[in-house]
Amino acid sequence: MAPIIVPKLTNKKAGNRRVSSTAVPSNSDSLVAIRDVTFKYGARTILDNLSLDIARGKVTAIMGGSGCGKTTLLNLIGGRIKPSRGQVLVDGLSVPDLSKKELFALRKRMALLFQTGALFTDLSVFENVAFPIREHTKLPEPLLRHVVLMKLNTVGLRGARDLMPSELSGGMARRVALARAIVMEPMMIMYDEPFTGLDPISKGVIAKQIRELNDALGITSIVVSHDVVETCLISDYAYLMGDGRIIGQGTPAEVQQSKSEYVRQFMDGRAEGPVPYTYPATDYLDDLLGGGAR
Amino acid sequence: MNVLRVLGGIVVHGIERLGRGTMFLYEVVAGSWVLVPRFYLVIQQVFAVGVLTLLIILVSGLFVGLVLGLQGYNTLIKFGAEDSLGLLVALSLVRELGPVVTALLFAGRAGSALTAEIGLMKATEQLAGMEMMAVNPLTRVIAPRFIAGVIAMPLLAAMFSAIGVMGGQMVGVGLLGVDSGAFWSQMQNGVDFHEDILNGVVKSFVFGIVISGIAVFEGYDAVPTSEGVASATNRTVVYSSLAVLGLDFIMTALMFGGI
Repeated sequence: MAPIIVPKLTNKKAGNRRVSSTAVPSNSDSLVAIRDVTFKYGARTILDNLSLDIARGKVTAIMGGSGCGKTTLLNLIGGRIKPSRGQVLVDGLSVPDLSKKELFALRKRMALLFQTGALFTDLSVFENVAFPIREHTKLPEPLLRHVVLMKLNTVGLRGARDLMPSELSGGMARRVALARAIVMEPMMIMYDEPFTGLDPISKGVIAKQIRELNDALGITSIVVSHDVVETCLISDYAYLMGDGRIIGQGTPAEVQQSKSEYVRQFMDGRAEGPVPYTYPATDYLDDLLGGGAR
Repeated sequence: MNVLRVLGGIVVHGIERLGRGTMFLYEVVAGSWVLVPRFYLVIQQVFAVGVLTLLIILVSGLFVGLVLGLQGYNTLIKFGAEDSLGLLVALSLVRELGPVVTALLFAGRAGSALTAEIGLMKATEQLAGMEMMAVNPLTRVIAPRFIAGVIAMPLLAAMFSAIGVMGGQMVGVGLLGVDSGAFWSQMQNGVDFHEDILNGVVKSFVFGIVISGIAVFEGYDAVPTSEGVASATNRTVVYSSLAVLGLDFIMTALMFGGI
């Protein structure tokens, strides 16, 4: 794999501006602090009085089954949605209370890697990675080219610079999105299901790159995934979510050894357990023999 | 009672969407000043919505002109007024057919493409990705497309009218034997720049605002699924076409009087 070379970029607008009016004291070891957060979508409770901390400079895994609220949590941290109740603090700033301008200033210091990659389909690989630099800096073209090629080289795709997103495999698209995520050198990267739909080689490469980038750039990483093996391999700390709550936490080894029924059901991939697998329904026999409405 | 409730729901939903659409467009227009130093973004979209729509506009304009020439000649010759064919063709095109037919074609070709493109960008999380990169999609994606539509529409309508006049001339002068000098001089004498041409331009400008506004709003507001994008595209064509025809009547009444 290509060595990780980190070119330093200075953001002309973002800097490390703190918004004093909305700054809230938090544990200095925690970059993200979630305090008693409840999030409801209509009548459905997605997150239920959830609290957790994301340590600075570490890779923190958030694992859990589909629909347990993992992506909702990332959206709360990124300020895309607001909690019904509770506090979401990022670097001491209360995210739901930020103005649009302040939120954009904070977002310049964080990155979210979407499950789909979310590459711009009308731009080439090079232009996709260059996009945030063009939008937020006035870097001269030769320097911009160097930065983009270095980031693409970091994810092993320097040779694919002229390809369009439609010409990339799923794994390659995810790696281009990773290059784009690190191009502005954020303080934190959130990965939403980075391993979904990838072959074992791509999974391993992406996992290794997440770990190496975290250490080389000195950033904080949040990996949301239901891929237990890959996620435990690269993370320093892990939270296990179920039913919108934290059902287990600790180092990956501790979580894997946990005796909790919730944790065991997820780790062992069992349908039976405290977390319901089947959606609530009427009696099966009645349903089949009832002959009523569909 | 149930019917009343459903009707009330439809009306409230319609008003709510109209309000949301107006607020959306206000935000787009208010934030579009950032495009001044990056006008190339608008130029790119003028190519996409204008230049790529040119072929259908020119072909349609030519055929409309040919038909106008033929129908006009057959009507005017009954009164011995076939020399006025140029005036008839020009006024029909510049006042009405140019702006209206161009707007309908523009809604079908460019408007639907705008909605589908923006809707798919939403469905594939490209707009969300942009927001997370601290880039406002309203100013980066929506505003250039909206402004490009407003710029392109009057230009396309002017080209439609111009090629339509050429079509009328081809049939009238070329095939049916109308005197060339009479054809052009009657047109020159009868068509007023302010009364006819400028009002036509104003009409097509208003249609550009309406169609582009509907198209970008429907795309941005689309449910992010394949079915949602398809419905949004459908709504763009239907709403735009109805809005164009309704507004045309109102503007014609205001500009040319008679009511």
